Amino acid sequence: MPRIRLEGLVKRYGAVEVLHGIDLDMAEHEFTVLVGPSGCGKSTTLRMIAGLESVSGGEIWMGDREVAALDPKDRDIAMVFQDYALYPHMNVARNMSFSLRLQKRPQAEIDKRVREVAEMLGLSAFLDRKPGELSGGQRQRVAMGRALCRDASTFLFDEPLSNLDAKLRGQMRAELAVMRQTVKKNMIYVTHDQIEAMTLADRIVVMHGGHIQQQGTPSELFRRPANKFVAGFLGAPPMNFLEVDLSEEGGVLRATGRGFALALPEALADRARGAAMRKATLGIRPSDLDFAPAATTDRALDLRVVVSEYVGAQSVLICDCGGARVTVEIKSETPVALGETLRFGVRPEGLHLFDPETERAL
Amino acid sequence: MAAPTHDRQNPAFFALIAVLIFMSVGPVLLLLANSLKLDVDITSGAGGLLFMPTIRNYETALCDILWYQPEHLRFCQIRFGGAFINSIIIALVSTALTLIMGTMAAYALVRFRFMGRDSLSLSTLAVRMIPPAVLLVPVFGLWNNAFCLDRDGLVGGMIREIFGGRGDVCLAGTHSGIILIYVAMNLPFVIWILQSFIVQVPYSLEEAARVDGAGPFQTFFLVVLPLIKPGLAAAAIFTFRIAWNEYLLASALADRNTMTVPILIVNNASEFDGLGTIFATGMLLAIPPILFTLFASRQIITGMTAGAVKG
Repeated sequence: MPRIRLEGLVKRYGAVEVLHGIDLDMAEHEFTVLVGPSGCGKSTTLRMIAGLESVSGGEIWMGDREVAALDPKDRDIAMVFQDYALYPHMNVARNMSFSLRLQKRPQAEIDKRVREVAEMLGLSAFLDRKPGELSGGQRQRVAMGRALCRDASTFLFDEPLSNLDAKLRGQMRAELAVMRQTVKKNMIYVTHDQIEAMTLADRIVVMHGGHIQQQGTPSELFRRPANKFVAGFLGAPPMNFLEVDLSEEGGVLRATGRGFALALPEALADRARGAAMRKATLGIRPSDLDFAPAATTDRALDLRVVVSEYVGAQSVLICDCGGARVTVEIKSETPVALGETLRFGVRPEGLHLFDPETERAL
Repeated sequence: MAAPTHDRQNPAFFALIAVLIFMSVGPVLLLLANSLKLDVDITSGAGGLLFMPTIRNYETALCDILWYQPEHLRFCQIRFGGAFINSIIIALVSTALTLIMGTMAAYALVRFRFMGRDSLSLSTLAVRMIPPAVLLVPVFGLWNNAFCLDRDGLVGGMIREIFGGRGDVCLAGTHSGIILIYVAMNLPFVIWILQSFIVQVPYSLEEAARVDGAGPFQTFFLVVLPLIKPGLAAAAIFTFRIAWNEYLLASALADRNTMTVPILIVNNASEFDGLGTIFATGMLLAIPPILFTLFASRQIITGMTAGAVKG
């Protein structure tokens, strides 16, 4: 399997530059997820790897080949499109075998391959149907099947699950995770859904505004976000951000905001001292706040509950903290009444600080 | 058990349908019945359906291409058969050419980005706004005088040697001359109608085909073309009928040997003897468009692109 490497990849539409030099090095058999909000350039990057968009600058390497100038068919890739793009005039079997038939492979080999893939995806009963006679989930599977049938070294997925309803999406996500174990290929997956990214990826690449913000394993990105954007993008509900003043009090660095003054843990305090900053943005994930009436004020926030969203085992509280909105995720059995002001303890390792100017993590 | 869910229809509704069917099919049946009668039976006034069918009228109409001499004819007066064959050749070839060129032009206009694309797309329609009669005089002049091969030249000489005839080799009086003008006449409309069909083919299908390893021509023939079949059928019916019925240009450009059926009928209106022959020629004239339309309309299936992409 070739290693895929992007070097200074640039895309311009006329005078507008939408990708500003993407550098990315993917390991063999790695499941790489490009994630970001709409318009961040993730789909453009994928389509440039596929050869469907021209490259305005930079290089795309697959193994020891520079493929930026090659046709899609010469790049040894298979792609699953967001809208499936099944050939409506061909039945499922012919859809899946299209690329093999174009390669003029022997009929027996084509039949065998289609049967194997159909078996794997549970499509055996539908091989004679046209795409128009299939449900959304089945079409999605056929689209995957078409990519799998073609024995390409690299699989590209362009938001493949975004057209499915929520339940089916979860199901397909799980199937993809299983498929990922059995199919040893390079996979590049584009999505705007951070849950898909977190659950599927070996490596997540967070993109925003045509730049790579951060890349790494899901847990690295979740625990040590490089900047405020990554911190706010990964994780649901998103991270809370509070503007704080930093001040030294008796050997302890305190982050003081409206209505709270938290003591920062030593490691974080050292980094903040190193940056010599007076003001910062404090980030706390909703899951790092716990209902703790007995906690001391330097380890807790006093929050007034505005809205309580019951989502089963967990409840999401939207609270007011001196005019700022703070989201808290707690167990549903915690007794909470709207309008009450409660004390929530903060896990020390759950505190993040960001430079308010550059938005970089400290 | 669908029956109970249906409302009982008013009997007047069925009567209305019966009348409509009679109105549309009746004349054709009358044409067919009368074409199989002897003149005496047609004019006797009985008008009944009881008669001895005969193919004599068809023998009269097609006498010039029959391999035998029909008994009831002393000599072959009307050369309908030859004109019939001319019409078929001209209509089929011009339809085929129009579709081939039209599809490719429409595809290019929809999918390729090039300078002047929009104005080109519009100008195809502008051409359509010129009445054919305006074209007649210049085309007549060009076909007779301008686009000619010298009879002593290499190609012209060869043609004269093989096909015979006198004078320089010109477009006028040839099948090609008429086909050419029909293609030119129908192309704008066909391009225009096919553009709207090609636009509806999702672009991601073509991208999928490219990733699957198809070249531009494979993408076009294996993916795009099958999906615009309904448009091709509509365009084919349209083109074929115009080519089949056209009179004005063909009358100016055709000669004795290449004239089409409409010209023959007008030129020889006085020479048709007997109603039966007229009915028979009418029937023969109607059959090709009917067959062609039936064949082509079977390709018109709605929802051709259903299931291609999430809609």
